[in-house]
Amino acid sequence: MERFKVKLQLNGEAVELDVNPSETLLETLRDRLELTGAKDGCGLGACGSCTVLLNGLPTRSCIVLTAELDGSEVSTIESLADGTKPAPVQESFMEKGAVQCGFCTPGMILTAKGLLDRNSRPTKEEIIRSISSNLCRCTGYKKIVEAVEAASSTETPKT
Amino acid sequence: MDREYTIVGTRMTRTDSLAKVTGSASFTADLKLPRMLCAKVLRSPHPHAKILNIDTSRALRLPGVKAVVTAADAHGVKWGVFKYTQDHPMIAVDRVRYVGEDVAGVAAADEETALEALDLIQVDYEPLPAVFNPEDAMKKDAPLIHEEYANNINVHVHIEVGEVDEAFGQAHLVREDTFHAAGEAYSTLEPYATVASYANGYLDLWMPNAAPHVRAKALSNLLKMPLNKVRVRRINVGGHFGSRSEVSPGDLVTSLLSMKAGCPVKLVLTREENAACTRQVHDIQATIKTGVKKDGTITAKEFRVVYDGGAYSSTGPIAASIPYYVYEEAYRFPNVRYNGYRVITNKGIRGMYGAHGRAFLCGNEMQLDMIARELGMDPMEIRLKNGLKVGEETATKSVIISGGLEEPIRRAAEQANWTEKRAGLTEGEGIGMGCVAVMCGFPMGFRSGSACYVKLNDDGQATIVTGICDTGMGNESMAIQIASEVLGIPVEDISLVNADTVVTNLDPGAYSQAASFVGGNAVKRACEDAKRQILGFAATKMNHPAEDLDIRDRTIISKTDPSKSMPMRWIVREAFFQGKPIAATGAYMPKVDFQREWIKKPYGQMAGTFSFGCSVAEVTVDKETGQIRIPHFVAAHDCGNPINTMAVEGQIEGSVQQAGVAVLTEETRWTEGLLLNPDLLEYKVPLACDMPEIEPLIVCSNDPEGPFGAKEGGLTTRMNAYSAVVCAAHNALGVPLNEFPLTPDRVLKALDAAKGGDKS
Amino acid sequence: MITSKFEFRSPKDVEEAVRLYREFQGEAVYLSGGTDLVPRMKLGLEKPKAVIDLKRIVPLTTVEDQGDWIRIGPLARIFDLKQNDLVGDYFPALEASLEATSCESLQMRGTIGGNLLQNSRCLFYNQSEFWRRSKGFCLKMGGESCNAVPGAKTCFANYCSDNAPALCTLSAEIELSGPDEVRRLNLEELYTNKADKPFDLQPGEILTAIFVPKKKSIGGYEKLRVRGAIDYPLLSAAFSFVDGTGKLAIGAVGPKPYVVEMKQPSHDAIGEAVEVVLKQVRPVGNTVLDPDYRKRMIPVLAGRLINKVMEGAK
Ligand SMILES: Cc1cc2nc3c(=O)[nH]c(=O)nc-3n(C[C@H](O)[C@H](O)[C@H](O)COP(=O)(O)OP(=O)(O)OC[C@H]3O[C@@H](n4cnc5c(N)ncnc54)[C@H](O)[C@@H]3O)c2cc1C
Ligand code: FES
Ligand code: FES
Repeated sequence: MERFKVKLQLNGEAVELDVNPSETLLETLRDRLELTGAKDGCGLGACGSCTVLLNGLPTRSCIVLTAELDGSEVSTIESLADGTKPAPVQESFMEKGAVQCGFCTPGMILTAKGLLDRNSRPTKEEIIRSISSNLCRCTGYKKIVEAVEAASSTETPKT
Repeated sequence: MDREYTIVGTRMTRTDSLAKVTGSASFTADLKLPRMLCAKVLRSPHPHAKILNIDTSRALRLPGVKAVVTAADAHGVKWGVFKYTQDHPMIAVDRVRYVGEDVAGVAAADEETALEALDLIQVDYEPLPAVFNPEDAMKKDAPLIHEEYANNINVHVHIEVGEVDEAFGQAHLVREDTFHAAGEAYSTLEPYATVASYANGYLDLWMPNAAPHVRAKALSNLLKMPLNKVRVRRINVGGHFGSRSEVSPGDLVTSLLSMKAGCPVKLVLTREENAACTRQVHDIQATIKTGVKKDGTITAKEFRVVYDGGAYSSTGPIAASIPYYVYEEAYRFPNVRYNGYRVITNKGIRGMYGAHGRAFLCGNEMQLDMIARELGMDPMEIRLKNGLKVGEETATKSVIISGGLEEPIRRAAEQANWTEKRAGLTEGEGIGMGCVAVMCGFPMGFRSGSACYVKLNDDGQATIVTGICDTGMGNESMAIQIASEVLGIPVEDISLVNADTVVTNLDPGAYSQAASFVGGNAVKRACEDAKRQILGFAATKMNHPAEDLDIRDRTIISKTDPSKSMPMRWIVREAFFQGKPIAATGAYMPKVDFQREWIKKPYGQMAGTFSFGCSVAEVTVDKETGQIRIPHFVAAHDCGNPINTMAVEGQIEGSVQQAGVAVLTEETRWTEGLLLNPDLLEYKVPLACDMPEIEPLIVCSNDPEGPFGAKEGGLTTRMNAYSAVVCAAHNALGVPLNEFPLTPDRVLKALDAAKGGDKS
Repeated sequence: MITSKFEFRSPKDVEEAVRLYREFQGEAVYLSGGTDLVPRMKLGLEKPKAVIDLKRIVPLTTVEDQGDWIRIGPLARIFDLKQNDLVGDYFPALEASLEATSCESLQMRGTIGGNLLQNSRCLFYNQSEFWRRSKGFCLKMGGESCNAVPGAKTCFANYCSDNAPALCTLSAEIELSGPDEVRRLNLEELYTNKADKPFDLQPGEILTAIFVPKKKSIGGYEKLRVRGAIDYPLLSAAFSFVDGTGKLAIGAVGPKPYVVEMKQPSHDAIGEAVEVVLKQVRPVGNTVLDPDYRKRMIPVLAGRLINKVMEGAK
């Protein structure tokens, strides 16, 4: 089977990968690189639990081929904290009680982070619209919305 | 609350949340062990067929394949929660009874090889006639799916209290209606997975489960292995809602593969397999007859409820009873007859669900509204009139020791402006109320109780060891919080070891609303004992009576003279010195009637206590399109006392999605035994944009038995939110709504049907 | 996982892409955002020998004001396009349909070209290989008859593009570049009206441009779905009013959008237009709401939409 070479900027580091052309980004992250923060909830693009930031945009990694990504920048949940200090959006998810089973949480946080990076003061409607990309079965979303609202007043806008 | 607590009742940040927001929390599928193999399962393509032959030889010859298992490798033991329902071999022996049933398992070096090997297994089937709905299955000439269940009736629960027929004869008004609801999918975001690692005669297991001890016992039976050699370990669980209560076919296949290959094996189900091949929720048809006096007092109830049980028993009689119980625990029924039939069909397996029973519960509550309307009563009044109060008994003889239905009703109604809103409704608007009460724990023999160990470590920190299991609701954090409250040390000083069958003691698990009430009580008692020991040593060391001492913020302090104090760790070290380290055990067994049995004797104390709840939903209905919106939702839940206020709210809010909004959107759809929506796209789990404005209200009844007065955190909403919504829709439309979920096509059908004249 | 094995190529221009297609003797697929294609490959509905990624062909990604026409590159992403001022100023129906497409994250990956060329859908077809084998293959999989309507010899899958109806009401044209020629046609001419093979495409043809007449319009889009996001349409209605002529397009109830023109959208004209559509559509029980209901909603959705648009113009 033919292999495919891909260069990525992954969580701030340059990596060179030799992947199978039919491999999804989620498989590369979870199986090859042991970055298991992104979850496989449906594998068909329907739930958002595999969301990562691809060139800053929340993207469902289960339906992206790694081969597509040469030269791209990928950030996973593992890169969000500053050392041991959680990012403001992670802090507010904890403080507001937006985390229950935690399976949707990495994807949900990255979707929120993507929104806050392009719009540091989103309205409640904008928050709801963004996180409606992701499913959560535990929380009823109320505390997730509150967490993103809270984070929007602390998150420093990306320049 | 009779006392100020330090940390109980606060909005504490859950102790498990840091690992979850950073992505470091491991779920079963995230595990990677040395030499681990990948497992895949070969599944039945037929809803009903004889297995004539299975040939695995070609699969075994494929390079990379390390083991193949079939029923021949199992021990012929069948699973079922009760002796009389043991009918599920977990790997099909000579017959398959649903599409997706496990027939063989393969362990290989990688996923690709395992999948290739599945194609090489040759199974010869002889298809049999199949039956897909309970009414057909009960017919005389229907194919018999299990020899032992005549007419395919798996269980029949019969409850009879008082003089039902006589009471109907004397009733001022009698109504009978039939309601039907499609089954739901649990849709835990985590698909099912199992890791099994067999070495040196011992089997270690990780899987999303809600009760490690119960799971280990089931597997020790299925594998014919001594219980001490089957170890179920703690792992994060991505949601449960009933789906992870029982042993799953994948557990057996993965265990057998690991034993055969001598390597760790991981099985991860696809979303489709999770939907079609692990348990889902019963379709239910409920015929409900109610008799009332002129003043709205319920005098008689009769029910015939048919549960589509799928191919095997699972929780059998429990599933066929719970909807009734959570209703009789809310309202007074002097005369009642309940006939619940769980019927076997050639559909996927089904289990208990947090929101189990919506046809029955929505039906009852909507019918109550129809009756109230005929009597000219406010739906709130008729509920208040019939709601159970403290000290009363349910129809089947459970005493209510705290709470009662009145306060949740009044609180919810007040918050929702019930009376004013009802008076001011405009065209297409409706408001509705749903009530229920829920048992905290139920009789499971000696497994009904929980025990906890605590030890104090040399720097004054504590380790607590408990069987409490957390499937996402925050039980681990709850246990730590209770320990912190009792021991007077901060949460960060407490380490938790839990849900590991070799290490922790028995616990009933996270599915019968027993975690706080039973498990929490055991933690509290263990820590109280430890505290007694600490204060005993302190009394000697400080030369001060123990009764006047307390522990606050890591310090032993005199209650009357705060100048007298000493760091707690000094006392802990002193105890080590004396060769009597601080270690304690605490246990709690709920006060239930252990003679009670689901079929043979459905009378007696069902649970230690009951939680009560009332939801109020406001809806707007577009009569032209049938679309319903829920702008506002109030849910009042009597949790006794909240341990963690934020966690209880979270449970309530999640329940509004899973029951309240789901009753507009969620249903499993079938085509002859095949699930049409085994996914998260066509199975409609509501999104953030579909949610109402939710106001969770916590009602505190301070339970005399519960730890710090606590009962359970939010299940009533999961079992009444849908009633509130359908009652509100009924209020808006004024026509009976008998088919759930209330998708817009069903709403228009109901409106059309009523145009014939039969408005209610 | 994707079980079929394929080679991956990312050509830099259209010629190279077409050449690669021929090199793999037609057993290749073009990839844009992949949000339709990758799930199909995962389900085994598509088993190509090669995947040809079009994303590196820069000219395909741009939006250009050409005076009489706005040229939209097929690789323009839904999310970017809905924020494009030209779209907002000239094509409100398209702006609304872009907004109604799936959800924000998928809009950020999905392209307008991929949206138009997404395959038709059916609950009995968009299933795993295991599922389809258990049920028996349907027409669209090369089987004998339809599974949604047992015995039927036609396929009833629905074409669920949210943006095709809107583009039809705006009289959009498309450019297709193939091994032999470059051709330009009305978007409406793309459709075969056969659900098992919905597009009239020659092997290897690439959608290289979408042209929309640059004329101010009023318009809108209504979508019937169960949830407020992610869901495909169960029925959709687009309407644009340009130069004194209205165009209505009804989507997701058959293998193509049904387009009707009307002079002034009077009550009677709307009624007539809807009648024309109702004669052609054939919803069946292959999606989540009752087919009769979906049909019944056509006049409701269309009527409301057109009235709303015309009211807004007053
Ligand atoms: C969960 C989920 C929900 C969705 N909901 C919706 C929805 O509500 N509405 C909706 O309209 N869609 C929906 N989609 C489908 C999809 O996301 C969109 O249609 C998207 O716009 C497709 O664009 P793409 O670039 O990802 O297409 P691709 O997947 O890249 O391509 C789609 C098809 O077109 C072909 N193709 C792509 N570009 C070209 C080209 N330039 N020339 C020739 N052939 C080409 C591909 O070979 C493929 O067959 C949904 C998808 C998912 C997974
Ligand atoms: S796992 Fe990728 S969207 Fe569900
Ligand atoms: S917290 Fe469990 S799915 Fe969101």
